[in-house]
Amino acid sequence: MRRWSAALAVAAVVLAAGCSSGGGDGDGAASGGPVKLRFLSLAWQKESIAANKQLVDEWNKANPEIQVEYVQGSWDNVNDQLVTSFEAGDPPDVIHDDSPALSGFASRGFLLDLSSSLPAELKSDIPQPAWDTVTFADGKGGQGVYGVPFLQESQVIYANKKLLDASGVRIPTSDAPWTWDEFAAAAKKMTKGGAYGVAWPMKSPVNKVLTLGLNFGGTFFTTEGGKTTVKVGPEEREVLQRIHDQLYKDKSADPSALGMGTADPLPGFFAGKYAMVPAGVYLRQQVAEQAPDGFEWVTLPPLKGATAQQGATSQTLSVATDSKHPQEAVKFISFFLNGPNQAKLAKGDWLLPTSTAAAADPAMTTKENFWDVATASAKNLVVAPYLKVNGYDEWKSKVGAPTLQEYFADKISLDDAARKLVEEGDKVLERYAR
Amino acid sequence: MTLTDVRPAGTRRGPARNRSRNRAQNRETLVLLLPALIPVLVLSVGPLVYGIMLAFTDARSGRNTETSFVGLANFGELLTDGDFWESFRIGMVWAVSVTVLQFLASLGLALLLDQDLRLRGFARVLALVPWAMPPVVIGLMWRLVYHPDAGILNAVLGTDVDWLNDFSVALPAVIVVGVWMGMPQTTVVLLAGLQNVPKELHEAAGVDGAGVWRRFWNVTLPQLRPVIVAITSLDFVWNINQFSLVYVLTQGGPGGRTRLPMLFAYEEAFRYGFFGYAATLGVAITIVVLAVLGVYLWRQMREAD
Repeated sequence: MRRWSAALAVAAVVLAAGCSSGGGDGDGAASGGPVKLRFLSLAWQKESIAANKQLVDEWNKANPEIQVEYVQGSWDNVNDQLVTSFEAGDPPDVIHDDSPALSGFASRGFLLDLSSSLPAELKSDIPQPAWDTVTFADGKGGQGVYGVPFLQESQVIYANKKLLDASGVRIPTSDAPWTWDEFAAAAKKMTKGGAYGVAWPMKSPVNKVLTLGLNFGGTFFTTEGGKTTVKVGPEEREVLQRIHDQLYKDKSADPSALGMGTADPLPGFFAGKYAMVPAGVYLRQQVAEQAPDGFEWVTLPPLKGATAQQGATSQTLSVATDSKHPQEAVKFISFFLNGPNQAKLAKGDWLLPTSTAAAADPAMTTKENFWDVATASAKNLVVAPYLKVNGYDEWKSKVGAPTLQEYFADKISLDDAARKLVEEGDKVLERYAR
Repeated sequence: MTLTDVRPAGTRRGPARNRSRNRAQNRETLVLLLPALIPVLVLSVGPLVYGIMLAFTDARSGRNTETSFVGLANFGELLTDGDFWESFRIGMVWAVSVTVLQFLASLGLALLLDQDLRLRGFARVLALVPWAMPPVVIGLMWRLVYHPDAGILNAVLGTDVDWLNDFSVALPAVIVVGVWMGMPQTTVVLLAGLQNVPKELHEAAGVDGAGVWRRFWNVTLPQLRPVIVAITSLDFVWNINQFSLVYVLTQGGPGGRTRLPMLFAYEEAFRYGFFGYAATLGVAITIVVLAVLGVYLWRQMREAD
């Protein structure tokens, strides 16, 4: 038995080795065949997968000498998958990911610096603030651009139109958004008859809190002399305290929604149990599709604190350092992310395109499904400090998420939460400074 | 050894000749063993040694990293790593409760299946079904069972609990799945043990006036003892090393409440890229498992004597 399985294992290894070297030969332009690229896509909504595949087909038809293979990945485990494939030296050529993940991969040398190889047209179509979300240290003292940012998300508020109108509050517009105080007052007014004014789905609270924290200038991280530390001062506490107040002081937010993922409050929202749900712009897709007949909803623009700024994180396309055909990969990315194509991708994912040409597309500014509100909110996006923090992912999962969850569940005080975020957080970040 | 046992040195052949013959035969045995040994060395011993070596280095993920020998630094760090000890505590709670519950439930099931029931064969096959499923499928299936809105559990109980995301019920919920998953092999082993208990002992005890409970306690259990010791220790090792089930069910959430030690080590290596430290975790967990098992088996042996 054992000998047989051993023989099988050996055979498998030989086969695998044969395949990969065979594939390597086939890849080379020298052998005359077309260049083959693998494109790891993380599209998951139906329309978005269709848009991605359609663009790949279009490219393959137009470029017989550079053939792109669509590989389906998943946001759930993409970073684990990438670590293993990078370490094994056989990563996909074109990689779809998001900007928070790039910093770590860039500093470890797994991603190609694209600053010199991107065509001018693409460079100028995407504004500098978006490029800032993908500019990172290369781990050797320099800086580089490690991806092309294409889809961005801002946090808006979904409201039940009937309850909103009935409360008599001022309806905010993109030019005159609600302040956090107005939001709190409106939520209080809409809390009646068994309904809550707002549901905060806080299953993954960290990114949400950190991006909204910028409303009051809360950066959560400071870097001095090359050393990054966690900071929870008065600016950072604003948003934390305000959400906590809604939950336990105003009682205008439902505590039982805290454990929910972003889309989970929707059934309650449709049933009139929650008047408002703060969430990313992409949720419009699910709201529009799942809303029962006769249910009227609106998208309210982002809230304003000291500013209306929010932290921008982008979805990105990057090229692996180990790719055998980096130039072809860049060519493919330039095609995939040009203005018209970005508009298609943005429509498929209900997100905001970084391309200025795509943002001007009529489909991106229509009143239908509140594209106008969503697109207007893009101007508030600034690069969030946490994007540049090496070790952010570990801080988020080991310190950030548990601490914020405990704080919002009212198990610890704000002072305790702040102390934990800083003390335990700094310990985590120290590992990455070595 | 065996050769000298079979053919004691009292035969007519001289002892010297006998020894050289033995050596030749030993060599032959070794050559014959080689094809089986190579895969064991290459696929088992090799990675194990490599893993142990990694534990004493600062190996990290990256193209431009240099790995150097750091001695016991990783182990020092481990001792003060509160997150690891929390994860280890969760691992022990998980492994002990799953093993104990699994044993009790399986013993009950095995006793039932040992009776002369109708459709006994069919029932025995049914009891094996979870064994045929890969842990990932089991995880996905139970995720649906536990789903807060669409899950059958909330529908049946009429509750509104988010089983896998609630800080206090997540671990118990995962433990239930662990018990369910491991029951078949425990049941089968115990059933085999039960069938080896001589009927005469039961009859003799019955003649002496022992009731059902008394016979179970004084006849069945002592006879079953070696089987119980073997299966519970194996179950304990399997359970503390469990990874795929939690990875699919909760990914260690909420807030790390179900982060078993193996998941912790996995995250260190493949999420954060600290390969050296993750290897240290693996070595440390192995040492602890061996120690716990050693104490348990030693006590069982001593009691058996």
